[in-house]
Amino acid sequence: MKIFVESSDVLPLVDLEVAFPVGSLQDPAGLEGLAQLTCHLMRRGPRGISQERFEDRLASLGARLSVQVSMRTTRIRATVLRRNVEPLFELVADLIWQPALRAGDFAKLKRQAQAALLARLDDDQTLGALCFREALFGEHPYGRSLSGNAGTLSRIGVKQVEGFYKRHIEKGSFVVGLSGDLTEPEARSLVAAHFPTFRSRQHKTPAVPATRARRGRHVVIVDKPERTQTQLFIGTLGARTRDRSLFPLIVSNTAFGGTFSGPLMQQVRAARGWSYGAYSRLLHSNQRDAWYMATAPSVEYSADCAALQLDLLENWVETGIKKSELSFAKRYLINGHCFDRDTPSKRLDARLDVELLGIPRAYFEKHDDLVDRVTWQEATEATRARISTRDLTIVVVASAADVVGPFERLPGVSSLEIVPFDRS
Amino acid sequence: MGATEVLIERLNAGVRKRNARLEFVREQAFGDALRLRRYRLGNGLTVLTLVDRSAPTVSYHTWFRVGSRHERPGKTGLAHLFEHLMFNETLNHPPGEFDRLMERAGAEANAATWTDWTYYYENAPRGSLPLLIELEADRMGNLVLRGPQVSSEKEVVVNERKMRVDDDAEGKALELLYRSAFRRHPYRWPTIGWMADIRAFTVQDCREFYRKHYAPSNATIVIAGDFNERTALSLVQKHYGGFSRAPVARQQTSSKEPLQHTERVFQLEAPTPTEKILIGYRAPAFSDPHTPALVIANEVLFGGQSSRLHRLFCIDKELALAVRGSISPFVDPGLFEIWVFLREGKSKRNAIELLDRELERLGADGPTETEVEKAINQLELSFLHNMETAAGKAEQIGFHETVLNDGAAVFDRLAAYREVTADEVKQAVRKYLRPSRRTRVEIVATAS
Repeated sequence: MKIFVESSDVLPLVDLEVAFPVGSLQDPAGLEGLAQLTCHLMRRGPRGISQERFEDRLASLGARLSVQVSMRTTRIRATVLRRNVEPLFELVADLIWQPALRAGDFAKLKRQAQAALLARLDDDQTLGALCFREALFGEHPYGRSLSGNAGTLSRIGVKQVEGFYKRHIEKGSFVVGLSGDLTEPEARSLVAAHFPTFRSRQHKTPAVPATRARRGRHVVIVDKPERTQTQLFIGTLGARTRDRSLFPLIVSNTAFGGTFSGPLMQQVRAARGWSYGAYSRLLHSNQRDAWYMATAPSVEYSADCAALQLDLLENWVETGIKKSELSFAKRYLINGHCFDRDTPSKRLDARLDVELLGIPRAYFEKHDDLVDRVTWQEATEATRARISTRDLTIVVVASAADVVGPFERLPGVSSLEIVPFDRS
Repeated sequence: MGATEVLIERLNAGVRKRNARLEFVREQAFGDALRLRRYRLGNGLTVLTLVDRSAPTVSYHTWFRVGSRHERPGKTGLAHLFEHLMFNETLNHPPGEFDRLMERAGAEANAATWTDWTYYYENAPRGSLPLLIELEADRMGNLVLRGPQVSSEKEVVVNERKMRVDDDAEGKALELLYRSAFRRHPYRWPTIGWMADIRAFTVQDCREFYRKHYAPSNATIVIAGDFNERTALSLVQKHYGGFSRAPVARQQTSSKEPLQHTERVFQLEAPTPTEKILIGYRAPAFSDPHTPALVIANEVLFGGQSSRLHRLFCIDKELALAVRGSISPFVDPGLFEIWVFLREGKSKRNAIELLDRELERLGADGPTETEVEKAINQLELSFLHNMETAAGKAEQIGFHETVLNDGAAVFDRLAAYREVTADEVKQAVRKYLRPSRRTRVEIVATAS
């Protein structure tokens, strides 16, 4: 078992994180949402204590506990007042190694998860982001929703949850991270006292096939009534974590749409006032993840905004960023890097990312060098090699009747699909 | 002569302009390890410094005592629009340069406007303070307001309003709640403004607003983090000392809101799959001595998964997906807001009856000792989280200075929570959380 400690006596707080290299990618096909349901059921407390008593105990300690499931990791995080760190440790250890996983709690949790699926339809931005990933990745595991859908949730029972827990948590590998007001020896002694019998285990990262872009430009309209504004996502495949061109691409994307001063924000918001926000994001994972632009223009100029973004994108990919933009983006990334490590919990998270996600240590330790070394040519070539202007997914949350014509007429569009916003 | 007096004497040596002369006001403890120092410039600008070398960052805040309450009907949303305009052109910097220089320095710059205040902040690497001071002072005194920028920024705000209100059922409900709960007080209009007012603003409106409210004597600067205090103060003198002590727009005496004697109920249709209830009980001002007891009541009722209403509504009865409570931290009396996010097909009436029963129970029996202990520990945890970064500290100082006239009062708040008794919670619930004092908005699904 690996232990990571980031000590700081600035505040009488301690963060504890137990992290597993398991996430929604381990959900069996047809049972999407299983990893999340399993961890949320664990969160309801250990054996021998009711959920009510467990929550009372946590709150009395001045502690907060959360579980976060992503595609590749599960993180159980607790924060506690320094004076109560020992009893919190005991509670968290019990929760992880002896979870109650009660059938009664599961039935309630499942109904709650189903209600949450419905409630998220209210948030147009979340809805757009989910539909964008689904449209971009199709049947690939990267396109799956962490929370599953009504159909997959209905197929999950407590037996599957117990099985998932046994396979991936009880017998899986994990790392422990502590940050805040305790020394490294104190941290190690706490871990030894509460996680005494576990030995290091190897984990096998599930093999995920390469992601593939669908050929052409495809529009998906997520049809929702009474929209005065639209949520617009335009994107394609992005990068792999271990791409040699990752840092050149990060710098190039930062120059294009990663800051307020970049051309995307300047043209969409500053010059035209078309959207409150306008940014581009580059995501990376074991296989190529997504790159996308996100804006929220009014319905009357949504298609004009999309056309403008397509022009900006083509210009960025074909001619590259300006040399002054390259230098600006590098300074922005290097100077702002101090905010990735200004608290002990952020420093701990970076170390856990290295351990769990296979992110090279150098990305954090030599971040400034890696950014500074990027040349204009590397940035331009990386952008051309990775960002397609031909194969694009365009998702817009809008009242379909208001936008279908103008979006159909966008340059190069090869298909247009309308899906109801409350489609299961 | 003490070290501070020597520092002030040196800083003032050779300074002829009265507006640039610095006065040391006082030093206060800020927790166990840090000291908050208060200075005033000759032109009335208040400067609060907190040196904290726990991270290589600095946070620079400028708080103005102007918010949407200082607007008038027909001109609502001007404080917020103005916040956007402050990122534009000045006499010394062309449009866009403010953001370019800040971002190049690795600084995050942003702002926020609410009912009682507007603040601007930069979180930056240590060493960039000279740039922050120069640019912030420049826009406090030298902003240029022209037609094209005002038009473009109005369009941005129109889009922001559509995103936060018109297409958002919760945003719409909040707007309706405040409009209905307040009939005289300026808290009745939304900070973002009515759409017609936003569209009608002129350059002249913006210029007048700037002249009236953006004076040094209406502002507080907070500098927190890793910086050299002497250098910082000297730069403040240099860049702000040239501004005159302009007549401050005195905080207008707000119309007192008449007492509410009966419940007000409204329905709002929205294309939502899940219905919601939003309730606002008339609550005391942030500075009121009853507020800490209501904060504890809020924790007992809504604070986390062990709270009474979360357990009852979300776990035991499965009526709601979530419940939330909060007290508006306003200068004048505001609202105790409650949200109930109902599950599909669940009855609003049942939810209200259950809520009333629970509030009556808390008003009759009060919280248990364990509940009060849990509440205080949770509030302490939140307090410490807010203090983790230089930015968090600066925000707490700026807020408490602007609302309570005491930047270090955040520690007094925590002490006040610790002194609240179960009986005080009971009294506060009985006094404030009565159906006759509330306004209710029910979000119902649009009939298809």
